Amino acid sequence: MKRSILKSPRARMHSRIAECVHSFIHSCIHAIILVFVLGSASFAQFQLPEYEHYILENGLTLYLMEQHEVPLVYISAVFPAGAIWDENNSGLAAFTADALLSGTKNYTKKQIEETFDFLGASISSQAGKETAEITISFKKSDLEKVLPIFVDVITNPTFPQEEFDKRKKRWLDELVQAKESPRRVIRSYFDQFIFGSNVYGNPVSGSESSIKEINRDDLQGFFGMHYRISKLGIAVVGDISAGDMKNKISAMFPRTPTLEQLNLNVDVNKNLKPFDKSKVLLVDKDDSRETTFLIGSYGVPWNNKDITQIQVINTILGGRFTSWLNDELRVNSGLTYGARSSFRNYKNAGTFYISSFTATSTTIEAIDLALEVLDRLHTAGIDEATLTSAKNYIKGQFPPRFETSGDLADLLTTIYFYGLDESYINDFEKNVDGMSVEKANEIITKYFPKENLQFVLVGKADEIRDKVKKYGELTEKKITDDGF
Amino acid sequence: MKQLIIIFFFSVTILPQTRVEDIQTFTLENGMQIIVLEDHSIPNANMYFFWKVGSRNEYPGITGISHFFEHMMFNGAKKYGPKEFDRTMEANGGANNAYTSENVTVYTDWFPTSALDVIFDLEADRIANLEFDDKMIESERGVVLSERSTGLENSPLWQLWEQVQGAAFFAHPYSIPVIGYESDIKNWTKEDLQTYFATYYSPGNCVVVIVGSVSVDEVKSLTKKYFEPIAVGPPPRKIHTVEPEQDGERRVNVKRDVPSPYVMLAHHVPQTNSEDYYALSLLESILSSGNTSRLYSSLIDERQLAVEVSTDYSYAFDPYIFTIYGICSKDITPEHLEAAIIAELDKIIKEGVTDEELQKVKNQKLMEFYHTMETINGKANTIGTYELFFGDYKKLFSAPQDFAKVTAEDVQRVTAKYFTKENRTVGILMAEEEEK
Repeated sequence: MKRSILKSPRARMHSRIAECVHSFIHSCIHAIILVFVLGSASFAQFQLPEYEHYILENGLTLYLMEQHEVPLVYISAVFPAGAIWDENNSGLAAFTADALLSGTKNYTKKQIEETFDFLGASISSQAGKETAEITISFKKSDLEKVLPIFVDVITNPTFPQEEFDKRKKRWLDELVQAKESPRRVIRSYFDQFIFGSNVYGNPVSGSESSIKEINRDDLQGFFGMHYRISKLGIAVVGDISAGDMKNKISAMFPRTPTLEQLNLNVDVNKNLKPFDKSKVLLVDKDDSRETTFLIGSYGVPWNNKDITQIQVINTILGGRFTSWLNDELRVNSGLTYGARSSFRNYKNAGTFYISSFTATSTTIEAIDLALEVLDRLHTAGIDEATLTSAKNYIKGQFPPRFETSGDLADLLTTIYFYGLDESYINDFEKNVDGMSVEKANEIITKYFPKENLQFVLVGKADEIRDKVKKYGELTEKKITDDGF
Repeated sequence: MKQLIIIFFFSVTILPQTRVEDIQTFTLENGMQIIVLEDHSIPNANMYFFWKVGSRNEYPGITGISHFFEHMMFNGAKKYGPKEFDRTMEANGGANNAYTSENVTVYTDWFPTSALDVIFDLEADRIANLEFDDKMIESERGVVLSERSTGLENSPLWQLWEQVQGAAFFAHPYSIPVIGYESDIKNWTKEDLQTYFATYYSPGNCVVVIVGSVSVDEVKSLTKKYFEPIAVGPPPRKIHTVEPEQDGERRVNVKRDVPSPYVMLAHHVPQTNSEDYYALSLLESILSSGNTSRLYSSLIDERQLAVEVSTDYSYAFDPYIFTIYGICSKDITPEHLEAAIIAELDKIIKEGVTDEELQKVKNQKLMEFYHTMETINGKANTIGTYELFFGDYKKLFSAPQDFAKVTAEDVQRVTAKYFTKENRTVGILMAEEEEK
């Protein structure tokens, strides 16, 4: 929903590995990237580059890291202002973040856009499930032109009515458009199916009915409540002098903290209970030629002590081209262009899912095969050679994840929001290398679901309804129905 | 304006670490060209193979074979049999991908430097001694049919693009979609694949780019050891077909049950190494780069006619198309959006672009250059792309100056020259009930 300019239609360029498989590597920062913070004595030797870390008097947390390879600077700001705080206004967090760029006390929308576009700089503001993130990048010589705007955007947005009305109309159109692509919306269905009324089920972009109800005051209210300087983390990485930057940033925010301390916690565990049976959500898209599916359950939160080891196992199951899932569903059988598995980690919750797609007529064959592979993980376990290969892969692919200043700025705000320890990164290699076959098989039993799986399928319901009942209790929706 | 232009040139002088003279190039005895750039910022390296073959080299009956071939290159050779290429690479910490366009097929390996020798061995094996396992061919057909189907399933634009491209070209093979037609994917034979391999995968038809934590000397000796012995094949046939000049607007209608119509406009433009490239590329940015771009600010922001709008002006060996496409807002007809896009083009033809606007997109090009140079993959991909499409990788480094030379008159001139009604193909994708 964030991108108004389409990417290339991709009809002309075909990759061997689909984005959805390959995005294993380029995953969303909040959910997965840190899982790839993997070092290695033999390959990578990645240690977090030196940085400075301050908590200012007003509570703002500031990270500064100098990187001088290109004359660019990246700034990333993160607030705990994502969709889990939407309450009854689904989509409010995402809309608020988006609207920060609609105008501020000192700059109109037009002035913001003209300044950034003219300099070739970029600015973006968007919310995900847990956070809102505002990022800018620019040539270092343009610092004085862009920094005041950036600060005004995160402290003084005015949410002009006219811009709000226009954006709301387009937002509604975009919600309808998104459902043209099962791949774009299936995770929203899945999260809602897994978490139900728990806040982690909230669809980030909201639904048609909820967006229709949102007004400008709601945005202002949400901003006032959730964009607190005392909760703000900022990372500045690039061709900077850390000392100068600290002084500049410090001077631009109020010195004293917000006096009023509101309790912003939501009950993140409300209505979460283990699944006692398998269920199937069938989303009918009657012009479908294929079935897009996710199969999964709860995963683990960020602070899980075994998170690195879980990712090593997931590499084997569905995290690389030669993974068991891709090997069976794509390479051996030609049923699909790609099959993978993923853990999505939030601060207080998580999901695990297998994902793929196949022609409508081969739906059952593909799902049965995916289940067989998951079962094999539990029954056959993992041998030494496979484990070593996965360790090498995850270590070898690690350093490029933190190659640019933008990558490092994202990393620092992730460290901030999730309260991660540096050792998490610097000891990663040790944790990967130290994993034994026994430990690997323990991890499988403990974290990879075996029964009571939850299925979400988007496809032509008339042709698959009767056959997919065998997977569990069936619920059906039309893709054109409101929300997810 | 003067001051801004000075800032621009000043910026050019503080280029990133990589300089043109850091890049080394040499050609092996069998004609394979190697380009190397040492970059020790991370303990990794990459290897990009740019093969000069794509759907442009196809004809009816074997459409999609270039792309299928790209998949087959991973399915077994003499030393490393089926599945062994990926297994060996991943077990050594490496990963790979590949892509095919109308013009090129590009294979990419990303790996820790410690795996350099293994990567050379894997690549030399498949380039010299690819094998075609019947079982792998059949299962790969399924994979590619799924790739075709999932593209169509998830993107109405995909479907529209195929048909607009097919209508814009009737003589030149650019009319063939890269993925190929379903009937061809199902029917080509093992012999077709073998012939294709022998024709296009000769070392002289390839440029190899290696960037990362390697030494030029080491790369030289490894390429001599692994790549130089690969036998030379016959030279590929030249593509001599020239698309006849378009002499009237063409229109395509596609039926699909979408909530609001899609509009696509394609105009013929010259190939990448033509003198109008830089002006057309800046025009593309003026039209669609950022929220202040003409199409975004007018059609999406101010007038709310479209929810999305974008452009495509890709690298091409032969004269190709410049494409503009958008999705209508609710209750907006495709005719309305089409007319609005054309009005924006006509406005540039009539009134030109402003100096500030031109400077803006030049600044954006400079930033794009920096972003490219931030990663070893960006460097490798761009160096190879410039070598192939501009005829010299050095043009990458002069690109900021080449863009700086373009004047507002140049942009106006190329818009007037190419964005005419006679030279236009219009595609509309919409649901049946909305059709006239």
